Amino acid sequence: MPFISKIQRQSDYTLFDSTTPIVIDNGASYFRIGWAGETDPRVVFRNIVQRPRHKSTGETVTIVGDHDPALLKYFDCTRSGPRSAFDSNVVYQFEIMEYILDFGFDRLGAKGSGIDHPVLITECVCNPVQSRSKMGELLFETYGVPSIAFGVDAAFSYKYNQLQGVCDKDGLAICPGFTTSHVIPFVDGEPVYSGSCRTNIGGFHVTDYLKQLLSLKYPYHMARFTWEKVEDLKMEHCYIAQDYVAEARYFQKGAKEAEEKTRVWQLPWVPPPLEEPPSEEEIARKAAIREKQGQRLREMAEAKRSSRINELENELRGLEFLLQQLEQVEESKIPSFLSDTGYVSKQEIESARAKVTHSLRKAKGEPKSEQVETEKADPAANEKYSLINIPDDMLTPEQLNEKKKQLSLKSMSEGRQRLKQKRYEEELERERKQQLEEEKRLENPELYLENLRAKYKDLSERVEQRKRLKTNGSHSNGNNVSGGVGRGERLNAAQRERMRLLTTAAFDRGKGEDTFGASDEDWQLYKLMSRDNDDDDEGPDEDEVELARISSRLQDLDPAFVPKSEVGSSQPAEVPRFRPLTKEDFQIVFGVERFRCPEILFTPNWIGIDQVGLDEMAGVSIRRLPYKDEALEERLTNSIFLTGGSSFYPGLTERLEAGIRMIRPTGSPIKIVRALDPILDAWRGAAAYASASQFHTQTFTRMDYYEKGEDWLRSYQLKYTL
Amino acid sequence: MEPEIIEAELVLPTHFSFKRVQMYEKYPKGQARGRHWKHLKQIIQAENYQNYPPDEPNYVNIESPPPMRPSKRICDITGFEAPYHDPRTNLRYANTDVFKNIRSLPNEYVQRYLALRNAAIVLK
Repeated sequence: MPFISKIQRQSDYTLFDSTTPIVIDNGASYFRIGWAGETDPRVVFRNIVQRPRHKSTGETVTIVGDHDPALLKYFDCTRSGPRSAFDSNVVYQFEIMEYILDFGFDRLGAKGSGIDHPVLITECVCNPVQSRSKMGELLFETYGVPSIAFGVDAAFSYKYNQLQGVCDKDGLAICPGFTTSHVIPFVDGEPVYSGSCRTNIGGFHVTDYLKQLLSLKYPYHMARFTWEKVEDLKMEHCYIAQDYVAEARYFQKGAKEAEEKTRVWQLPWVPPPLEEPPSEEEIARKAAIREKQGQRLREMAEAKRSSRINELENELRGLEFLLQQLEQVEESKIPSFLSDTGYVSKQEIESARAKVTHSLRKAKGEPKSEQVETEKADPAANEKYSLINIPDDMLTPEQLNEKKKQLSLKSMSEGRQRLKQKRYEEELERERKQQLEEEKRLENPELYLENLRAKYKDLSERVEQRKRLKTNGSHSNGNNVSGGVGRGERLNAAQRERMRLLTTAAFDRGKGEDTFGASDEDWQLYKLMSRDNDDDDEGPDEDEVELARISSRLQDLDPAFVPKSEVGSSQPAEVPRFRPLTKEDFQIVFGVERFRCPEILFTPNWIGIDQVGLDEMAGVSIRRLPYKDEALEERLTNSIFLTGGSSFYPGLTERLEAGIRMIRPTGSPIKIVRALDPILDAWRGAAAYASASQFHTQTFTRMDYYEKGEDWLRSYQLKYTL
Repeated sequence: MEPEIIEAELVLPTHFSFKRVQMYEKYPKGQARGRHWKHLKQIIQAENYQNYPPDEPNYVNIESPPPMRPSKRICDITGFEAPYHDPRTNLRYANTDVFKNIRSLPNEYVQRYLALRNAAIVLK
């Protein structure tokens, strides 16, 4: 039931006699203005003001109420949003109020100098006198209103429905409004404010709650949830659950009832154009291009290589020539000869030659076969390590040095040899194993696969277990993915132990006798303390290697096998980032929200308002009454009257009845009725009231106002029964 | 101004014949006015309700009391009944799935969820 404002300018203003009162229902959400005695207000609009800047002229303008959003494109509304004159349900910004009254009177067709009609305007229950007097001042001074009456909207609504026979003269008006909810007891047709109570919760909070929840649930569609849209959604879909917990449980279990109650709002969505698979020609063309590029690269590499080979050969030739020359030169003249070339000694030239030959060989792509080298080295070994077998005492100091060098060289080369041998053997072993397995597999593929799977499971469990042990519980919180130890993260066992050692080392000084270092084991402590001790730094252990092997093998053999991802258990499944958006991504699903949001009327605590909800308010209100008369209380509960904008939710009446039954003595009669029109009845009641012949006795003039003063205004109260 | 705006009479005129004091006279342009209104809190404070008899109804004392019954705790995310409470984020949650979800929520969202029930940390 989307709201449509009624803002056509009325033309019959001058036809009304100056004694005909103007009736204004000044609600926090809507402003309604019309003539006393009529059945409907003439002008209705949202009680808000916007002051945007006109985009082309730059002047600040005033726009009152809701308008066609298409027209607002000419204005820059980003600076200031819609503003209300209300704080809770009290008018506090009279500049805004003045714009609203301007607009209201203007659309009512007001002409001439001043509003020459009595005005009946609604206000909240127990309006602070400051607000009341400011409103009076505004109406008297600015608009020249001859007389004013203030009344409470809920009371007018109750009286109107009482006249229609909906409720009795004794009763309880429950009025969930826009920003506040009231319960007002009526005794003998008059509201008893000392028994009334107010909870600061209303339709505004419900809409706001729904808006917040939806934008938290669908952050990508946040822009869709405008206030107006969410208000519409609320009015269309929200309902009050009879038992919130039971209802929520349906949704939690995904029961059929829940599915039926879930509503989906499909946002406009256009499927992205399907990408056509590239045609044969396209593929061929691309392949050709790639081939051509590859060819070019290869050619370039080839050219570079040949030029380098050339260069190296030249250098080599030069060096060889130099060496030849050097042989012909006399021993004593070598230094002077070499000084021209830039080399210092013959050895240096030789080593340079060796280097060049080596790189030449590499450039030409000949294998730098170590095998060959070592083979070559073998016969020469004896020669190379000539000094090793000679006892030390037979050698000169230089020779001794030489011998040491030779020894170390020999052990090194032998070590290398051994390592190579070992690697070779391992290779052999692996191959042998693989062959064995292959045979086993061929024998009985099913059984083999079964065994492999069992082994995989076993191993993966073991690895997992170890990881868990290592992190010692922190695997469960899912935040430890980075492995870093952030604020509030738990340390793993090893890290904890290290911390403990460090703190003991730091603070246990000077306690008793310091025996540290007495035994060699003490020094092991530093090893434990060092950061390298963290297990994480160790390479993958045997189990993990084996696990990787088996899983790769399983992947080869078993098409259905999916390796458990390493992070599987510790990370919440994340939605793949890049996946095409589907229709479902543009759906707004209302499940629990449908009854969660209006539920705050009964439990304001959920949005942080620590006050009783609607059902308990009725009990509070009865308790506050000064009469203590059981018969009266029964009469009150027998005529509970529901009015106000937030009383439309399906299920509200039933829920209220159940709630009030719980706090009333057993057997007390409870009857709940809804107003004929919970929204307009306040205005209608006021209009009917203002048309009564005795209305003028309830108004006050400007003279009264200034004569009687503020204290009188504070205790001013209408008599609703005329 | 565009003709369609004038057509719809969207913009409130600045002068009305029925007003004794026009808006531009009351709030002249280009004059710093400061704040000329009071917040509801200030209004209530200025009312001096404590000077009036306590059995007389006023805006403050008709306010509802806090509830007698403890309210049900619901999961901040899903709205289901929430038996658990996460000490790190202070969010209430219904089951392990929601727990995983809230642990992966960025802090901004956690604070927004908390703000819904007025439990967020407000820096002043």
